[in-house]
Amino acid sequence: MKNLSVSSISFSIMIIACMFVIAPSSLAAKVLKIGIVDCYSGPASTYTNDVRDGFKLEVKKINAAGGILGRKIEVFTRDSKFKVDLGLSAAKELIYRENVDIMMGTINSALALAISNLCKKEKVPFFVTFSKSAKITGAKGHRYVFSITENTAIAGKAAAAGLAKKPYKKYWIAGDDYEYGHAIADGVWSNLKKMQPGVELLGQSWWKVGEPDFTPYITAILSAKPDAVIIATGGRDNVPFLKAAKATGFNERVPFFMHTATELSTLKPLGLEAPEGVIGTSNYFFYYPETAANKSFVKNFEEAYNRKPAVGAVYGLLAAKFIFGAYKKAGKVDTEEFIDNVEGMWVNSPVGKITMRAYDHQAMLPMFMGVTKKVAGYDFLVATDIVTIPGKDVMPSIEEIKKARNQ
Amino acid sequence: MILYNALFSKKTIIIGIVLLVAFLLLPYFLTRFYIYLLALIFAICLLATSLNMVLGFGGMYQFHHAVFYGFGAYAFALFVTKSGLPIWIGYVIAPFCSALLGLVLGLITVRLTQLYFGMLQLSLGSLVWAITYRWYSFTGGDDGIHGIPIPDLIGSSTGAYYFNLIVTAACLLLMYIIVNSPFGRTFQGIRDNPERCEAVGINVQRQQLVGQIIAAFFAGIAGTLFVTIEGSVFPDLMFWTFSMETLIMCLLGGWFFFMGPALGAVIIITVRTFVGIYTEYWTLILGLVLMLLIFFLPEGVLSLFFKKDVPSEKKEG
Amino acid sequence: MEFATNISLASLFQQVLVGLSRTTILFIVASGLSLVLGVLRIPNVAHGSLYMVGAFMTYTFASLFGQSALGFWLALTVAPLGVALISFLVERSLFCHLYEREHMMLLLFTFAFSLVIGDMVKLIWGSDYRSLTAPLFLQGSFSISGFPFPRYNLFLLMMGPLVAAGLWFLTNKTKIGKIARAAAVDREMVGAIGINVSGVFAAVFVIGCYLAGLGGALVAPTQNITQGMDHAIIIEAFLIVIIGGLGNIWGALLGALIFGLTDSIGILLLPQFAIVFPYMAVVIVLIFRPKGLLKSTW
Repeated sequence: MKNLSVSSISFSIMIIACMFVIAPSSLAAKVLKIGIVDCYSGPASTYTNDVRDGFKLEVKKINAAGGILGRKIEVFTRDSKFKVDLGLSAAKELIYRENVDIMMGTINSALALAISNLCKKEKVPFFVTFSKSAKITGAKGHRYVFSITENTAIAGKAAAAGLAKKPYKKYWIAGDDYEYGHAIADGVWSNLKKMQPGVELLGQSWWKVGEPDFTPYITAILSAKPDAVIIATGGRDNVPFLKAAKATGFNERVPFFMHTATELSTLKPLGLEAPEGVIGTSNYFFYYPETAANKSFVKNFEEAYNRKPAVGAVYGLLAAKFIFGAYKKAGKVDTEEFIDNVEGMWVNSPVGKITMRAYDHQAMLPMFMGVTKKVAGYDFLVATDIVTIPGKDVMPSIEEIKKARNQ
Repeated sequence: MILYNALFSKKTIIIGIVLLVAFLLLPYFLTRFYIYLLALIFAICLLATSLNMVLGFGGMYQFHHAVFYGFGAYAFALFVTKSGLPIWIGYVIAPFCSALLGLVLGLITVRLTQLYFGMLQLSLGSLVWAITYRWYSFTGGDDGIHGIPIPDLIGSSTGAYYFNLIVTAACLLLMYIIVNSPFGRTFQGIRDNPERCEAVGINVQRQQLVGQIIAAFFAGIAGTLFVTIEGSVFPDLMFWTFSMETLIMCLLGGWFFFMGPALGAVIIITVRTFVGIYTEYWTLILGLVLMLLIFFLPEGVLSLFFKKDVPSEKKEG
Repeated sequence: MEFATNISLASLFQQVLVGLSRTTILFIVASGLSLVLGVLRIPNVAHGSLYMVGAFMTYTFASLFGQSALGFWLALTVAPLGVALISFLVERSLFCHLYEREHMMLLLFTFAFSLVIGDMVKLIWGSDYRSLTAPLFLQGSFSISGFPFPRYNLFLLMMGPLVAAGLWFLTNKTKIGKIARAAAVDREMVGAIGINVSGVFAAVFVIGCYLAGLGGALVAPTQNITQGMDHAIIIEAFLIVIIGGLGNIWGALLGALIFGLTDSIGILLLPQFAIVFPYMAVVIVLIFRPKGLLKSTW
């Protein structure tokens, strides 16, 4: 019985000791603090590292030139390990303890929505850098959240616009059995039906995230004999799916569309083993658009990190341009004025002029639809026959956003 | 009064009151982040202690306790967002939902013992997780549910702190009474020698089932506390790795002590938060610490200071 | 919810074949897990992590030879041995001191081990996706009544019986296997007649981990080699071991068959809900036979 009391004493001593040992960091006066919570462990980190590096590259440049409004920029990063509770705790630590001015992150949609909710309450601007959930700037959008990446609604519309030009009638949909997969599939299908009323859906198959073997799905799809297939798979499942497609000759039997199939993170590890003729969409290629802005961005990024920038690097760069541009425009550090300035603002980027739509805080990024092909000079496949679908054509309309928000 | 005398010495009561007062005053000296962190720690303390009810005091291999925690959190969140009834009813209903899940899973699992029990629970729990993860229209799928409206009285940082402090303190007290009740004694008897208990006419499986339900009930309360602080639920709450982490808390603090798991929770959450600031390799550090612990402090941190509450000789290797 | 209407016998046959090649991998990984469970009575949570290390090592060794055919075969041989070596070192230096402890401690040790491996993989191999190319004659597919069947899957199909035969030989025909089986039933008795139980345990543990490594090496050419592979396989492997009967290698085979086939046939019949089939099979088995289909060793 004595144990209870003594143990509770030690328990409280431990807590109090912790409080004093780890003193909160001091509030330096002339700093602009940016907090990034993202997943830097596990398969997602192949995307998130690029966001962070792209962002930091720009920060380095600005700090070297004396900072923004006389303030140096300080970046705090926290690893969420793809766990929402860890990420949310880290976000609160950044907001409550470090008093960051801006929050950024994350690739995990559940965490992005959770942090978005927190930032709404705390009135801290939050820039979503990689989560593809359309809810972020759609149904769950608010004054303090911004998205500088495409989302499932945009990708769906872009893909439908591309596919509507093709003669296919009978489709099959297959994808990752989680929110992202279903959202992409719904996005493509609802738009495609509108643009090309004759299309028919033969069936669907859904596999779990991290599915180890796609062969049974592929053979099942082939036995239904569709004209074309929409693959709604994201992240790490792209690579093994393309492998299975190559091994079974799937790409030669049925044309298929896969949203991020043409991205560097997917195609580079596959080398020349990747299947040709896969239709994919992406926000960015280091080899396209062939503009001076893109070339100089690629050169700078390669010099700093010794690798080619993938799409994440552009998201990082865009975040930096919007954040620091808006502060410069506002002329002072004030959250509400900052937000007023980001709304409707445009910046120059490797993919051209990008505008932040004022109504829903969604960056209007162009989408590039291309087809995978072996091209001399690259030891991996690249996207060719690229069609640019401008941002304004693929954004969900403001009426749709209003409807999603029940307004 | 008899109960009081049997359970607590005067000293314990005084220290308990002093502690409670200290915790009640603490928010006046702390910044917001530490108030939040403490509120979170209270919830996790409750979770770890509820696990230890069946683990340390019941000797049951509860490998997937987080599923009851997450289930309680989801039940609460769904009640609040979908029913439109007063939030207080949710606080009452959610733990019973967890207890019900404890009953259902328990009916299947208590037929088995030890590792079989644990692994079966792990698989069934994973099934519950998979359903939560997939049922978009109802649970929000892998996106979870966010922005759950909690009234400011208990939803603000300080409000959540006081709410969680009081609920956790009351639950710990209740659990302590249960552990020391005739039921708790029988439970510990089963842990130490199930065959003998069976022989003297105790229905071991029924006792274990009841234990399971009680543990699930308190885990459900911990789940509602989590929602109170974070205002979000997501499937991670019932993923098996989180159960493992909770097991580690019990082991770290000392699973033969009533307050051991709570101490373990304090240490894990605090260290996780502050090590995470400096390095991405926090799991590596956790793994190494855990290995050291298994070798040098197998009975937990509290065993450094105290003799354990319960005998250690266990059946079977 | 619609059934795929045009299910021909050919596509069913094809689907069964594909399911069987999946079964092979599941069997190899689960049998290692089951072996360790049966003899050492340890649920090795780190088994999935060793599978991941096996895949990464295969990638690295094969890349040393520029991903040539020779490199592939060498890597397939060396990588599982590398995994076995790691497990041997860990077993002899740390794990062997814990055998007298409770299951809970052993389980937590393997969990700690998996945490360490997870972060070590991140330290050593980084976050990029890796991909490995199979030798030319195993690439592509041939046609079975109009449906493509990947050559590599055929190779996997052939590896399954090979490993099963090896395991049968090991447990029934070798001295170490016989001792291990005896030790699984009665550890004290085996110790009492003067046999070095600890040595046998070490051997069994290493063989079990070798199988995890072999599983990882074999799937390497079909997969995205990345962090997180461990979590994907470990729960499946555990479920297979449970429905088969803890510690029973043939139970693992049976469990893997149930898992692999319900999965692939489910995909053909009801593609939208295929994800649930194997788990439903597991629950049904466990409701009727809570201790698994075949006799457990303990």
